[in-house]
Amino acid sequence: MEKEYAQALWQSVERGMEPHKAVQSLHESLKAHGRELLMPRIASAFGRLAQREHRNNMITLTIASEKDSHGAKRDIEPLLKELGAEAKDVETRVDPELIGGWRFEGKGKLVDASYKQALLDMYNRAVR
Amino acid sequence: MNSSTVEKIIKEIEQFKPTHESAHVGRVVQVGDGVVAIDGLTSVVMSEVLIFEETKSKKLAEAMEAQTELYGLVLNLEEDGVRASILGDTARVSEGMTVKSTGHVLSVPAGEELLGRVVNALGEPQDAKGPFKNMTMVPVERQAAGVIDRKSVTVPLATGITAIDAMIPIGRGQRELIIGDRATGKTTIAIDTIINQLNEPEDKRPICIYVAIGQKESKTARIAQQLREAGAMEYTIIVDAPASAPAALQYLAPFAGVAMGEYFMDKGKDVLIIYDDLSKQAVAYRELSLLLRRPPGREAYPGDIFYLHSRLLERACRMSEEKGGGSITALPIIETQEGDVSAYIPTNVISITDGQIFLVTDLFNKGVRPAIDVGISVSRVGSSAQTKAVKAVAGGLKLELAQFRDLEAFTQFAQDLDKTTADQLASGQRMIELLKQRNGAPIPMERQVAMLYAASLRIFNDTPVARVREAATLFVEYVDAQHKNVFAEIKKSGQLSDDSKKEIAKATEEFRLAHPELFATK
Repeated sequence: MEKEYAQALWQSVERGMEPHKAVQSLHESLKAHGRELLMPRIASAFGRLAQREHRNNMITLTIASEKDSHGAKRDIEPLLKELGAEAKDVETRVDPELIGGWRFEGKGKLVDASYKQALLDMYNRAVR
Repeated sequence: MNSSTVEKIIKEIEQFKPTHESAHVGRVVQVGDGVVAIDGLTSVVMSEVLIFEETKSKKLAEAMEAQTELYGLVLNLEEDGVRASILGDTARVSEGMTVKSTGHVLSVPAGEELLGRVVNALGEPQDAKGPFKNMTMVPVERQAAGVIDRKSVTVPLATGITAIDAMIPIGRGQRELIIGDRATGKTTIAIDTIINQLNEPEDKRPICIYVAIGQKESKTARIAQQLREAGAMEYTIIVDAPASAPAALQYLAPFAGVAMGEYFMDKGKDVLIIYDDLSKQAVAYRELSLLLRRPPGREAYPGDIFYLHSRLLERACRMSEEKGGGSITALPIIETQEGDVSAYIPTNVISITDGQIFLVTDLFNKGVRPAIDVGISVSRVGSSAQTKAVKAVAGGLKLELAQFRDLEAFTQFAQDLDKTTADQLASGQRMIELLKQRNGAPIPMERQVAMLYAASLRIFNDTPVARVREAATLFVEYVDAQHKNVFAEIKKSGQLSDDSKKEIAKATEEFRLAHPELFATK
């Protein structure tokens, strides 16, 4: 039940309600129904919901080394446009295991243009 | 790495073109008991195959050494994500793992290469005979053929078991349920039927598919060995989803089997498919449904358990000539508990199929094997597919046996019996003996006909009950040695002509003189 209350709270804030006012209204409503004790659990559920939303909206660009950063950012521009995101939304990470190239992941989309993936595909085609 | 692999890799490098293929992805948020909850993947469809991305956290060398890809199957579409079953080892999936959609519904490989092979529910080889080369991918779920595309069942499918071929005949395209308690000989009937197809001419021999669901690996291995030794593996495919396999694979195995069968049916061939057994598939589906949090119904099975079996068994049919004239004959097996055929799954499958062969523990323990209860076994469409020769000799057999069973029960405590009743009982006992059959020894149709015709001439009435089987076997061997043309004629024409009848009658007289010891005492 706390999940449903958390979702209702989230939607109220998203529709433009003041966060403070939304929480107050929820509290009053719970009090009226004798469900005040649910408040801490609703808070936890709200936290999980926020985490999930953050994760879903997070855009990650993984590169093999810092020197690949410029080229990769240029390559992902059309992708960002397609997803309606901006360059400032992208979190860049470095993973030397990629060997070269880049890997873009975010908003339900994955583009793996890393050398590691290319080599792996090549190997699988040859062996399997 | 061998030289050919190195050469292939060099070729791949030479032809390398960088591509940036994008995929829709989601993230695993919950894993447990073969089911995962995935966040995202808003564009996937039901029954779509997913790939768990295991290589992300691995080094290139580790990723290269990794096992084959791990797949998932979308089974629930929910408001903020999907639930899928893992088609492999659950331990390989971890929370937070990226999951890619493939855009394909679940498919299995199909082709001639499958013959003689043992595969799992995904069509992957399980017999260490190497990978398949040229295969067609066929979807596991397919709409059954419509009314217009079908033809009525008219061609017999001989099981080689006299009791079945004579009294409960099965036609190509029929669905005949084999039902009974554990250890009553259900699988034996199915395997004997596969072996008996050796007696069919090669062009008319059906492709056989044995789907083992929730069985012990040792049992499936023994069956494969038995089929191999009998020479039946050449036209047989074994789809194995053992008890140790995830519930999802046990639920999918029959669908994978029938999809492979449809490939051959679409090419105009006849297929015989055995589901051993659907009770275990129902249990696997129940497990999966409960884990997917679908509402439980009767006996905790989900609401669509009837549809699970009906959509599977509806795919067995005989196609019209315009559609190639192929067929799929299904022999589903159901295991009952304490002979309770009124349980949920047995009643469902009884109502879906075109008849059932009931096997009874009491008869089995009395030594009547196959332990078929003739009174309640029935074939609803098979009689129109029965060979004329068999029909001619087996006309009143079922009624006679049913009457005998009634009479036997009624006279159990009787002291004095009139001659007619005593004769009827004696005749029934001999008929029961005649229909007993060793497992793994199917009898070709023409031999069944000769044996039953001889019995109708009351040749075995003077034989002691305990020696009827021996007498019948020797008689068939005698006809084979001395009147071979009778068998050839019956086999060729499928009919029992007057000449053949005369020849068999003559053979009975000769046999009586040749083996007086078999007719010595009453």
